[in-house]
Amino acid sequence: MKNTIKNIAALFLIFVFSGSIANAQGWTVPNSAKKKQNPYEATSKNISSGKKIYNLHCKSCHGDPTMANMIPLAPVAPTDLGSQNFLVQSDGEIYYKVNKGQGAMPTFEKTISDEDKWMVITFLRSFDKNKKMKQQVAEVKNPEVTDVKFELNVNEADKTMLAKLSGVTKKGKRVGLQGIEMSFLVKRSFGYLDVSGEDPYTNESGDVQIQFPKDLPGDREGQVNMLVKVTDDAFYGKLEEKRVVTLGVPTDPVNPLDERAMWGTRANAPIWIIVTFVGGVLAIWSVIFLVLFQMIKLPKLAKNKD
Amino acid sequence: MNDLPKQKETTLSFEKIKKDILHPMQNHKGLELWIVFLITVISVCGWAYYIQLKEGLGVTGMRDYVSWGLYIANFVFFVAVSLVGMLISSILGLLRIDWITPISRIAEIIAVAFVAVAGLVIVLDMGRPDRVLNVMIHGRFQSPILWDVTVITTYLTVSALLLILPMIPDLAICKKELTKASPIMKKLYNILSLGYINTPEQHKHLHKMIRTLMVLIVPIGLAIHTVTSWLFAATLRNGWDTTIFGPYFVAGAFVAGSAALIIAMYFFRVNYRLQDYITDLQFDKMGKLLVAVCLVYLYFNLNEFLVPGYKMKTGDDVHLKELFYGNWAIMFWASQLLGNIIPIILLVNKKFRKPLPIMIISLFVLAGAWFKRYVIVIPTMLHPHLPIQNVPENFVHYYPSAIEISVTVLSFALVLLIITVLSKIFPVVPIVETAESKGIEVKIDA
Ligand code: HEC
Repeated sequence: MKNTIKNIAALFLIFVFSGSIANAQGWTVPNSAKKKQNPYEATSKNISSGKKIYNLHCKSCHGDPTMANMIPLAPVAPTDLGSQNFLVQSDGEIYYKVNKGQGAMPTFEKTISDEDKWMVITFLRSFDKNKKMKQQVAEVKNPEVTDVKFELNVNEADKTMLAKLSGVTKKGKRVGLQGIEMSFLVKRSFGYLDVSGEDPYTNESGDVQIQFPKDLPGDREGQVNMLVKVTDDAFYGKLEEKRVVTLGVPTDPVNPLDERAMWGTRANAPIWIIVTFVGGVLAIWSVIFLVLFQMIKLPKLAKNKD
Repeated sequence: MNDLPKQKETTLSFEKIKKDILHPMQNHKGLELWIVFLITVISVCGWAYYIQLKEGLGVTGMRDYVSWGLYIANFVFFVAVSLVGMLISSILGLLRIDWITPISRIAEIIAVAFVAVAGLVIVLDMGRPDRVLNVMIHGRFQSPILWDVTVITTYLTVSALLLILPMIPDLAICKKELTKASPIMKKLYNILSLGYINTPEQHKHLHKMIRTLMVLIVPIGLAIHTVTSWLFAATLRNGWDTTIFGPYFVAGAFVAGSAALIIAMYFFRVNYRLQDYITDLQFDKMGKLLVAVCLVYLYFNLNEFLVPGYKMKTGDDVHLKELFYGNWAIMFWASQLLGNIIPIILLVNKKFRKPLPIMIISLFVLAGAWFKRYVIVIPTMLHPHLPIQNVPENFVHYYPSAIEISVTVLSFALVLLIITVLSKIFPVVPIVETAESKGIEVKIDA
């Protein structure tokens, strides 16, 4: 008797469980697609560029991996792509799903490049507890350090920037930290423009140098607001510096509201529209006032008769 | 059909005309009751407006997508109907068409009532009506809203003048004849009649003023409805973004206005016993006019829907499918068929241009015109340009709330009240003009 109940309960659980899985993942992935391998290595560089792409294209729906803070779309909510349940899938399977999409999940076949998709998968894989070892092999090892500092040097003549990341080892020696990605961001009207270039990773001495674009407009003096930071807070906490630098091309700003235009303020209405409107109103209303004025004459005309 | 009125003409004298037209103004029991009824409706619905004023526009069905709802559709309808003043008394008047003489004043009363309330409807649609003057103070010359406010005020002024000026000789008669009138009314007649005693100079002078205004109101009338259409056509929205909206609205306005005039003619004829003045001839001619303007409107509809329907441009296609066989199909086809095509088919038949049948047909035309405005305003608002996800359910549908419907009923009651009051204090059929047109000598004592 006890066993039967157990069995029924187990069956029931399996039923419910498989049912919910079937609901959440009505995906059919061909076997050939499942076998596809990720051609990229799990280096920290690849992982961090995967993170960037993820934040740009996937985070808005899926939230942060492992945090389960996806947006609650109906009927099927986006999966937490850092959860172990999800990561049991093969790289090929994930790749296939990202390409094809389903329901509210868009297809990314054409929108992002193959390389970028693999980078995202590399990034997601870094949350996979079963594969952690492999990833750590590939990663550059920095000694354990305290008092991490980062200095920024700007060379205005040749428009370059040099950031140096260093920390103090247990032995009390300040050393450069290697292989850490830095972000060089320029503030524009809507958000930041990334000018980090292809390879913004610190070298053995903890340095990274980037070339500031030669044609980026600045304000009247050529000033721009820079934000330089260690891309991933996960390593040494939040490290960033904001600085106004004179590396932009001096530009006189044009405010579209300054010219006479349809979208302008009343004072900046196009002349022809002011003339037409005011002219029309004056013309019509002067006739109306003329008639009103003529009405006064009417009683006088009666007296003429007498 | 024409022998009957002719026979009667010989028996008409100036005294009889005066009596026939002035009598119902003072001796009409039902009229007071009707006015009381309208005032009751207005007060009850005014309470709905008070709630809206207190709670804000959230009590309406309007949300972020549909921010122009029932009120604006109704506004466009009112503006449309008011255009009949310009059509009848000005265009036909300038063409010296004589059968309009007895109905031109009714047309002008309709114009004044509808355009006045149209302006008010806009204020009723405002969450903060206390800021209405800001439209003038801060209005931008580039904004069709400023043009619309300007043009409507102007049209109201000129329509009111075109109601009063041709009435001056009649008011001089009222001053003499309506002995039972209250002192206030006597004063009003006295002031408005401007000492008119029908001297040849006065006659000439008056008619010169009237003709000036008749010419002036043609561009204003065209402008009022064209600018109202530009409120829509000056946007890039599917369904509004078309170049024929101006003339399309003007044509539609003639349809709505003519239908309203026919209905009003019928009620004045029956209630004021004006069968000798508003005759079968007027109904027959109005019927022909209605067919003509309906045909023009049909032609515009053909252009407005067939051409984009043939191309089914992206964006337009969603909108058009909604109208042709989607959620709006019933309203769309009902307004086209019952409000335009079937009336045309019926009214080419002489039998249907008799007073009662044409009045009933006009009711359908007028209702069709109202729903047509609704179909022009709301479906387009339901398709915003940017696809927005996860919006509340009530953004993507629009159903006018009870408050909105009550306030709209209020606006209708107000129009009817204005028409009723104007027709109670002023003769609805021009006395002097009617006499003159029949070659009867007119005498106005000093
Ligand atoms: C518009 C919101 C949205 C965006 C953006 C989005 N997704 Fe999704 N994603 C979903 C939804 C919803 C599902 C669940 C679909 C289903 O199972 O029917 C899903 C499912 C998935 C799945 C399958 C999950 C599983 O349980 O097997 C993967 C893999 C995935 N998304 C990856 C990505 C990646 C990678 C990106 C960025 C390149 C991305 N998604 C961007 C909404 C989104």
